[in-house]
Amino acid sequence: MSVRLDGNVIILEGPCRVEDAEPLLGWLQADRGRMVDLAGAEHLHAAVLQILMALRPAIRGAAEDAFLRYWITPALMGKNPPESGPQRG
Amino acid sequence: MRLSINGLAATVMDDLLQHFIVEAHELIQQATDDLLALERNPQATAPMDSAFRAVHTLKGSVGLFDFAPMGIALHAAEDLLGALKEKRAGIDSHVVDSLLACIGQVERWVAVIEQTGQLPLDAAEEGYRLARALRSQLDEDPAQAADSISQADLGWIDELMVQGRDPAVRRAQDRPLVAIWYTPRADCFFAGDDPMALLRSVPDLVAVRLSARDPWPPAAEIDPFSCNLRIEALSGAELDRVKAIFRFVPDQVSLHEVVGTAQEHASGMALANGGTGAAMGAAGAVGARMLRVDASRIDRLADLVGEMVIAKNALAHLAGQFEDGLDRKHLSQGLLASQAAIERLVAELHGAVMNIRMMPMRDIFRRFPRAVRDLAGQLDKVIDFSMEGEEVEADKAVVEGLFEPLLHILRNAVGHGAEPERLRLEAGKPAKTRIVLRAYRDGERVRVEVVDDGRGIDPAAIREAARKRGIAPADHVDRLSDADAIDLIFAPGFSTVSEVTDLSGRGVGMDAVRSAVERLGGQASVRSLPGHGTTIRLSLPLTIVMTKVMAVQLGRELYGIPLDGILETAFVPASRVLPVRDAEAFVWRDRTLPLVRLADLLGIPPPVEAPQRLKVVVMAAGDDLVGVAVDGFAERIDVLMRPMTGILAGMPGVMGTTLLGDGSVLMILDIPELIG
Repeated sequence: MSVRLDGNVIILEGPCRVEDAEPLLGWLQADRGRMVDLAGAEHLHAAVLQILMALRPAIRGAAEDAFLRYWITPALMGKNPPESGPQRG
Repeated sequence: MRLSINGLAATVMDDLLQHFIVEAHELIQQATDDLLALERNPQATAPMDSAFRAVHTLKGSVGLFDFAPMGIALHAAEDLLGALKEKRAGIDSHVVDSLLACIGQVERWVAVIEQTGQLPLDAAEEGYRLARALRSQLDEDPAQAADSISQADLGWIDELMVQGRDPAVRRAQDRPLVAIWYTPRADCFFAGDDPMALLRSVPDLVAVRLSARDPWPPAAEIDPFSCNLRIEALSGAELDRVKAIFRFVPDQVSLHEVVGTAQEHASGMALANGGTGAAMGAAGAVGARMLRVDASRIDRLADLVGEMVIAKNALAHLAGQFEDGLDRKHLSQGLLASQAAIERLVAELHGAVMNIRMMPMRDIFRRFPRAVRDLAGQLDKVIDFSMEGEEVEADKAVVEGLFEPLLHILRNAVGHGAEPERLRLEAGKPAKTRIVLRAYRDGERVRVEVVDDGRGIDPAAIREAARKRGIAPADHVDRLSDADAIDLIFAPGFSTVSEVTDLSGRGVGMDAVRSAVERLGGQASVRSLPGHGTTIRLSLPLTIVMTKVMAVQLGRELYGIPLDGILETAFVPASRVLPVRDAEAFVWRDRTLPLVRLADLLGIPPPVEAPQRLKVVVMAAGDDLVGVAVDGFAERIDVLMRPMTGILAGMPGVMGTTLLGDGSVLMILDIPELIG
């Protein structure tokens, strides 16, 4: 298991696989206030990622993995680049 | 070698850019026409489809160049049109306004590109502003917006590229990119696919956007094993490498090579290689005149050239017979036949070439509905504008030369002619001011009229203004007939309305209209009835290239007078010339016409011995007739008139020149202008 619950924080570690999606979903459904820690994540399976995208829990920690940090976490933080153009003024 | 290859690339891009500019003008026009048609009839299908196509095509062409802000704005316009099209809901003038604002900006950008080869500096900001304005109308119905994005739509690429604050994205603008549009199948997890693993393995990612294929269901209903992702990304790697990664999911991914923005790159290279000459040449070429020609007209030319070859062969055959000692009679017959054939062909070739230059009024007329609409909006006037005779053709130079004058006349009709709605209703007129722009063929001339049913021109007000502004001496003004007084609106420095709008405040008056029309070999006149409206009438030659002139003699010199102004030639006994103050007049067909002597007009001393009979050319000068006394009439000729160029261009009274058969130059006179 690369997903575990520590208090009120769901920790994703190492390569997260398709089977991690179900427990993640269950924990978040049970308590939408739970935070997700990505610091140790090496990969997020699409199934895991889309749970995070759908439920948009608070995210803690910047993934060490460059791909995740650069391309994926911004989408989860609500900072999907295309939505934020330079503002006039 | 590098140098020449770079030069070639620059040339190809210049070619592309030129075609883009021509095409863009057409598409902009098309979109404008369609939007205005939609505003009139919001349910119409044809203009909706056509507008969508025009904007879609334009956006696609923009993608070839480094004009991303334009692409973003157009993409938003396309999405909005797409949503409206889907919804089949009515389109109100507010939506039309925002779409026209976008198209109008694009038009201005294209004009700048035409001049400088690139977008202005503030384009990015403006592009976003337009896109936001358009999208804000879309957002009223987000589901539609989502639907309107198809995988063929790659405008988001522009969005990703432009706003990338990341240097990697900037760098990426210099090389081709692969756009990835990946929508994994819902059951892909069961097949063992991990779309994120695939995305991770794409080399050289420059942008990524993740979204939901369908809106997310409520938390309790989420199925963790059904994939609901959409992945859009840009990669700087070669297409084949990207393709290889997605080779197992070809049905779920679409890849597009975005041949980005080599243009800036290429011209930069040309400059770096000391190729300023090439760069200058490119700029010049962009400004070159382009002519779009119906292919059938070119086919006709090709046919004629084919016939010309046959005629030439016949001549060669004749020459061969000459060698063989054919008798004179046969030879001369053959020569005459051959000459006749070639003469006919030359005439037809000339006609065909002239035909190529003919273009319909539509090409300029179609820009007016938009202009009138904008003006009416600014001035808060309600206008019912219509056009007739768009299909009437004239020489390209004539048609294009008419745009500015007509625009000005229309401005006046809207600004000065149209009364406020309330006054119109009180006067028993329909609430909307009717303005008709009409063109029709009248023999060898084209007539263009702007008719309005507005307040008309008050001759008393014109007289008053003319006196006040010193346009003409007061006693002269008093003596003028009402029609002549109204004609004073064409006098230099005249403007009848005291309140200066941003339209009339440009220092362009009706005098500019008249002189522009006269430069084209035409005349401008006005008729107006206070309370009933005004008609401005322009009369123009079909072509300013081929002109029939009558040669007249003055001393030993020959001058040409365009035949289209001449009514007839007359012999007037000197005794019948009536002195009128310091001028002269004569009676012609029961009318008294002013008589002017060409020698006086040209400032040439008159002949020592006054002739007993004057040779007079009776011709039109503006709306009036005048007799012009000359020393002799010579033949009528068809000439290819060359407009005056260079320092001679401003020479008053001379329309142009032509070469005569003996090599001498014939000056073609503009008699109305000489009379002044």
